Amino acid sequence: MNASKHKSKQVSDPPSWFERPRNINAMIAGLVIVCGLLVVADLFYTNPHPHFDIETSFGFQAWFGFVSFVVIVFLGRILRMIVGRKEDYYDR
Amino acid sequence: MIMIANLPPGLIMILGALVLPFVARRLQAYGVLALSVISLGLFLLTPAGEHGNIALFNTTLNMVRIDSLSRIFGIVFHIAAIVSSIYALHVRDPRQHIAALVYAGGAIGACCAGDLITLFVFWELTALSSVFLIWASDSERSYRSGMRYLIIQVASGVLLLSGAIIHYVQSGSLAFDSFVVEGQPLGLAATLILLALGIKCAFPLLHNWLQDSYPEATATGTVFLSAFTTKLAVYSLIRGFAGLDLLIPIGCAMTLFPIVFAVIENDLRRVLAYSLNNQLGFMVVGVGIGTELAINGTVAHAFCHIIYKSLLFMSMGAVLYRVGTTKATELGGLHKSMPWTTLFCIIGAGAISGFPLLSGFISKSMIISAAAEQHQFWVWIVLLIASAGVMEHSGIKIPFFAFFSHDSGKRVEEAPWNMLTAMAIAAFFCVGLGIAYPLLYRMLPYTVDYHPYTVTHVVTQMQLLLFALLAFVVLMKSGLYPAEQRSTNLDTDWIYRRLLPACIRGLRTVYDVVNDAFRSDMVVIVHGIMDFTRSTFNERGILGRTWSSSTMTLWATLLLAVCLLLYYL
Repeated sequence: MNASKHKSKQVSDPPSWFERPRNINAMIAGLVIVCGLLVVADLFYTNPHPHFDIETSFGFQAWFGFVSFVVIVFLGRILRMIVGRKEDYYDR
Repeated sequence: MIMIANLPPGLIMILGALVLPFVARRLQAYGVLALSVISLGLFLLTPAGEHGNIALFNTTLNMVRIDSLSRIFGIVFHIAAIVSSIYALHVRDPRQHIAALVYAGGAIGACCAGDLITLFVFWELTALSSVFLIWASDSERSYRSGMRYLIIQVASGVLLLSGAIIHYVQSGSLAFDSFVVEGQPLGLAATLILLALGIKCAFPLLHNWLQDSYPEATATGTVFLSAFTTKLAVYSLIRGFAGLDLLIPIGCAMTLFPIVFAVIENDLRRVLAYSLNNQLGFMVVGVGIGTELAINGTVAHAFCHIIYKSLLFMSMGAVLYRVGTTKATELGGLHKSMPWTTLFCIIGAGAISGFPLLSGFISKSMIISAAAEQHQFWVWIVLLIASAGVMEHSGIKIPFFAFFSHDSGKRVEEAPWNMLTAMAIAAFFCVGLGIAYPLLYRMLPYTVDYHPYTVTHVVTQMQLLLFALLAFVVLMKSGLYPAEQRSTNLDTDWIYRRLLPACIRGLRTVYDVVNDAFRSDMVVIVHGIMDFTRSTFNERGILGRTWSSSTMTLWATLLLAVCLLLYYL
């Protein structure tokens, strides 16, 4: 909402490289490819000093990073319901 | 040189601060910078060992102790002071310059203190000076926040002093050494000191002064604040409590809960404060594990952290300086007008997230590896989750919502040259430490046998970070990522800002009700008692009048008879 209000004020401002949808899609595609390569890379080396079994399982830190991130964000949404107050809460 | 070695490092900064008000305003900022540089030079020339011993009463105070631990903290504190003072070169506010100099000098003096009393003196000096960096914002909010900050910091000092006194009474020594004895619980003195350090180190439930006050300080003040207080606490924990198992769960909690708060926080400087809390958690875990690798990791992480956290606070400070706010809801699209600040912020974000070739990668991983080597599976898992969390709040959220995201339409000037220079230096250190890591490893307290750039480490770390980034993209695209929202999120400060005042108000109301209802009745009763007493004890009253001797004799005889009876019964 806020963004559209400002955009209408500055029509003449062309979108920067980072704002063009084509480039954004290209960046996302690049990220997906790199992620894919990183998982595949797991096949080409062995961990010389594993401390835990789970460390050596295929693509462990990949899915673990993904899941952790999602869980943290959803915990945040729940936390917001509990502790979120109006901005002027302490000023009233 | 011998004479100078006996004076606490940083003293020249503290004394210089006294001269600063008499210098022309436009030169004051340069005075801060010059004094910091001179102090660093003197500090590097000070030979290792114990200097500045003063006999006091029955004990000896050791004002200067330079060993491998205090040396590296002293160096990084000096670097932070120099970089922050470059960042603040445009400021024309004597209060801030004086406060910053005393604060930095105090922190440097404290990390070289060999005894608990010297530590206490510098400890309080940092508390008293740093609060002016918060008050310098000149707003009602910052005044109140600064007051809360000051009360909590001084309370920490009082606990430290109490602990030191008890320790002296029990052991006859004031030396600041390890309080941890294998297989024995902490004594009262050690517990009090741990509590004092815990407040400064923002342990869970004692943490909230940090998120409360740092975002209220001035744009330049927060940069100073982020470097010293908490890392001084980490230093003291290493010195006094290395290997204390209790610190491991405390540190784990510290790494986890702030990341969830950071997800929903709107003020990006407050996000960084939560992130600072989370990074301290890694260090506390490292101190708790206490092996050589863990301590090395903690020291290295503190070193790198001071620099990249300053960098992040500097980038947000530049945004605050130019835009007037750091609220995510009001920012976005700033990469167009502040490209350099954007670049430096991304380098800082990459460093804190632990991308290879940046400083966080070579320091945080030492702590994680130390947990793995001790076969602490759950600690290791928690630190991995926390690493993904760091990617969330500092790696993505800070740069994305400030500089990219939806365009706020705000077009501002790039940050002033001195801010950019300071950020460039910090960014240079972030990259430099990530690549030339042996230079840092060489300064660590123990000999290092750790190689960060193994194939396993680089690949797994990149997996963790890039899949976290992928998760962000997926959540954003699917609209599941929580939208930025103007809000105040309650934290433990709610207890003393709302709950306790409410309780006190409640007690007052009860008092007033009781007062109104019963006061007049009580007055009547008291008057009755007094009238009765007066009438009984006056010269005609039953207890006050004069008795004849025959009556007295009769009563005495009777009493004697009763006593005799009781005796024989």
